Amino acid sequence: MKKRQGGFAKRSQLRVSTSALLRATIFLLVTVVAIVPAVAQTNYVEKYPIFGTHEGPYSFAEIDKKDYSGITLNAITLAPPVMGGPTILHAKQFEELTGAKINVVAVPLSQLYAKVMTPFLTNIGAYDAIIFPPNWSGDIMGGGYLEPLPEKMLKSAQWGEVIQVYRYLQSWGDKIYGVPIDGDKHFLAYRRDAIDAAKYQPKFKEKYGYDLQPPQTWDEYRDVAEFFNDWDWDGDGEKEYGASEMTQRDAQLFWQFIVRAAPYAQHPEVKGGFFFEVETMTPLINTPGFVQALEDMIEIQKFYPPGGKNFSLSDVIFSFGGGQTALHANWDDGFIQAMEKDSPIRNQVNATMAPGAKKAWNRKTNKWDDFPNINRAPFLAWGGWITGVPKTSENKEAAFDFLGFLSNNANQQKDLTVGRYGVNPYRTNDFSPVFWTEKAGFDPEVAKGYTDALRNTLDHPNRVFDLRIPGNQLYVNALATAVSESLAGNMKPQEALDKAAKEWDKITHRVGFDQQKSAYQEIVNLEGK
Amino acid sequence: MTDSPVKYAFVLPGVLTMIVIVIFPVGYAIRLSLSSWEISAFGSGLDFAGLTQYAAVLQDTRFWHSLFVTFIIVFFAVSLEYVIGLSLALILTVELRGRRVFRVIFLVPMMVTAVIMALVWRTVLHESIGPINDILIRLSLPGIPWLSHNTVALISIIMVDFWQWTPFMFIILLAGLLSLPQDPYEAAVIDGASPWQVFRYITFELLYPVSVAVLLIRTIEAFKIMGTIFVLTSGGPGTSTETSSYYIWIRGLKEFQLGYSAAMAFTYLIILTIGLIIFSKLLRKRISPRKL
Amino acid sequence: MYATLVLWCIFAVFPFLWAFVTSFKTDQDVVNGATYFPGIDFKPVLSAWTNLFSGESIPIIGPYLNTVVISITSSLLAMMIGSLAAYGLSRFRFNLGRFGNDDISFWFISLRIMPAVVIAIPYFVMFNSLHLLDTKISLIIVYIGYNMPLVVWLMKDFFDNIPSELDEAAIVDGCSHFGAFFRIVVPLSKSGLLVTFLFCIIFSWSEFIFALILTINKSQTLPLVIVGRASTRIPWWEISAASLISILPVAVLAIVIERYMIKGTLMGSFR
Repeated sequence: MKKRQGGFAKRSQLRVSTSALLRATIFLLVTVVAIVPAVAQTNYVEKYPIFGTHEGPYSFAEIDKKDYSGITLNAITLAPPVMGGPTILHAKQFEELTGAKINVVAVPLSQLYAKVMTPFLTNIGAYDAIIFPPNWSGDIMGGGYLEPLPEKMLKSAQWGEVIQVYRYLQSWGDKIYGVPIDGDKHFLAYRRDAIDAAKYQPKFKEKYGYDLQPPQTWDEYRDVAEFFNDWDWDGDGEKEYGASEMTQRDAQLFWQFIVRAAPYAQHPEVKGGFFFEVETMTPLINTPGFVQALEDMIEIQKFYPPGGKNFSLSDVIFSFGGGQTALHANWDDGFIQAMEKDSPIRNQVNATMAPGAKKAWNRKTNKWDDFPNINRAPFLAWGGWITGVPKTSENKEAAFDFLGFLSNNANQQKDLTVGRYGVNPYRTNDFSPVFWTEKAGFDPEVAKGYTDALRNTLDHPNRVFDLRIPGNQLYVNALATAVSESLAGNMKPQEALDKAAKEWDKITHRVGFDQQKSAYQEIVNLEGK
Repeated sequence: MTDSPVKYAFVLPGVLTMIVIVIFPVGYAIRLSLSSWEISAFGSGLDFAGLTQYAAVLQDTRFWHSLFVTFIIVFFAVSLEYVIGLSLALILTVELRGRRVFRVIFLVPMMVTAVIMALVWRTVLHESIGPINDILIRLSLPGIPWLSHNTVALISIIMVDFWQWTPFMFIILLAGLLSLPQDPYEAAVIDGASPWQVFRYITFELLYPVSVAVLLIRTIEAFKIMGTIFVLTSGGPGTSTETSSYYIWIRGLKEFQLGYSAAMAFTYLIILTIGLIIFSKLLRKRISPRKL
Repeated sequence: MYATLVLWCIFAVFPFLWAFVTSFKTDQDVVNGATYFPGIDFKPVLSAWTNLFSGESIPIIGPYLNTVVISITSSLLAMMIGSLAAYGLSRFRFNLGRFGNDDISFWFISLRIMPAVVIAIPYFVMFNSLHLLDTKISLIIVYIGYNMPLVVWLMKDFFDNIPSELDEAAIVDGCSHFGAFFRIVVPLSKSGLLVTFLFCIIFSWSEFIFALILTINKSQTLPLVIVGRASTRIPWWEISAASLISILPVAVLAIVIERYMIKGTLMGSFR
């Protein structure tokens, strides 16, 4: 009996175990089919600090598929946080996704030109990716050191979405060498609680005879700066001042000066150059438009905060962003700093176009023309940081993949909202106010003001491009030195600018007249486009 | 003193090292100065351009201005350092309590990294967020434009240099004072000389060789001032604190005008050498042969 | 008299104190004006210090190592070559035409006139072609040249103060000149060697211009990294912390040296 039971038991056990096995297998199969794709489909939004993923050849998903293990890339960038911050962050992400190794060399701005140019000097390959401002394109692209962009990048949506104005800055001659990662321009940021508020209107009108508003011309800017200088108008117990400007000679004085000169010197009907008269390459920096701007700037020094006569961009960002002044005609940084989450003046600032002028110098007729409706000449200062791949790189494909990834839509959108990264709008989507209210927490009014200011600045037909020719540093240094001397009271404006113009002329001839003329012609061709 | 051919074995490594490390690059600098090399001029390289760069240097008003600025800084800084250093040293020859402590404290500014301390000074002198102006304002005094006014910026540079290098004068002069013989002093006491007479005719005279040495050394070093300018004012406002070294650096390694900056550098070296030779001859004239 | 001393002390120490206090601030504490007393004017935080070590802000560890390696190596080599030369000038009579010992000594010292920029520019071009830019070797080479004159000058004096009868006796006993140098004179000049070595380290530690011109990233030294951070958006609080850390070793060395300096070991140089 036992035996039979045992046998029976065995058989039923066997049947049980078979069905169990079958069930287990089916369970396993179903699980695998369900889970594996889920595992393979990484949720990038959870893993990385981005708002959402986008399609494209340089998206997270696409780059993840690449395998660059064994490859080392050397990239040079600006010292963090501006540009350096996002570069280092995205380099780490790229390493994770592709297995490549990226050595990031971060250099302070004052040394960047030297460190980037040094390998080119003796044709040594040191970097696979470099960062530089478009102004140095003359030396870098014109010198023939960079590799043109691959088709894959030129055809990508992320390239096409870069607004036209910035795309102009990526090419030299008929080749395209630059991968944009930022967009720059000067505009006016100001304190709403001072200027838009009703409480100071009557006093202002009484003193100056017109309504208090965000200054439309440099004359109004001066009045507003004077009105808000040296007293506590925001009730925080500390004195505030008129305006924060970049005045340090070897820092960014050049751009602060040019944004002032632009509306006086860029006449909408006079073509053929702003910095030079392109036909003869005669410098125009000592013409009355520029002289007027310098006189304005000498006057405005009275309304600077303490130490304001020696401010670098960094000081300006802290000054305006920290609530010290009412006015800020500059890049986005100070404005973004003011709008940071823990800033005491968050949403108390707004933006508009940089001030214009009611007169502009006409060099053809040799007199001032009046512009009662205000002449605007927005200045695309600096142009927006760009990156490139030197010809000497041995890993060009990986390098371009890195640069494309670094600036892909997902990364860029997040970087835009991190003030200290210094990444400013340059793709069409960046200019929608909704983005700024939702992702950066701006007040709707501020978001609208900001995006309007940007769009008006960038689309303006009378805009001024920066001095994008070889030897840019030489010209910038010469003009900045002259302006600085005049601001310090060592030279009269006309005298200083004459001296700078003479030096500009010497530089042009010494560096190569034809070379400079054809380079500047390229910029002149963009006039009014 | 002996003589033996082995003497060359001792000295030659040092001499050769210095020739290779110091003299040779100067030779290369001269070669560079005879070219028109600059990076923005495509096609220029180590060519031969004769003395054109030197002609340009001589006509460069900014270069001469930088020499003037350098001279002013060196003159005032070194003088102040000497006077105050000597005073401090004189005080510390007296048997005061805590002498050692003072000496150690005095020494530290000289030894720490100059550039970094210049950066710290920049925080201290910062007109908006620095403590000095803040204290002045609280005392109802006007804030001083430490770094944004021509002359005041020069004063700031001199002050930082003086903060850093007075200890040098101090320590050497103190060592010198401590090693002076006692006899002249005893004689002076007997003769009833006043403190000023004691100082002027005994201390100062006996200390003369040390003073000369220390002034020369410090002056040589001071002419090389660069880090402080770099960090504190970048040559500004305008060019009011732009020293020759700084200007040469701008032309050479910021603008990459290699030929021109080499010519400027070499010219500067020659001017400096001639100046220092004259200066040292003037100073040494007064030393009696016995002391030499 | 005490008053003068105390006054000078305050002047000398104030920047260090300020850096110390600032290193405990956050950016808002700095940006809104000067604050002085932790706990009263502002709330002290450790973020500047922790950031330093976590690598978040200024990368300190790499440059620290660079600075240490470069200082020690170049100082050792300068000491070796320089001491040999100093001994030679102290013990032997040189007569090269019109040039005697004093002239040769003077020549060594006169090389210190050389402003850094004069040789930095050719160095830059030369090292660039040799692929030696941004290496520790380039700085070590330059610093040997930078420090050796000092070594020769100081050590000659120390050696002069050691009676030459001692090594002459050894030579009479059959020692070679080198033997006399290494076995007799060197042990006797230990304190002088140490002081000079420490001086070399201090000067190499703090050197800025050559480091600025000849490095890009990998071989950056401390002064460079800290100054470099002071470009856009200067984080004064981090810089204060970093500065203090970087000058600590040399400050300590200075205190160690002090006891030797007054003891008369340096005084010989000026007779």
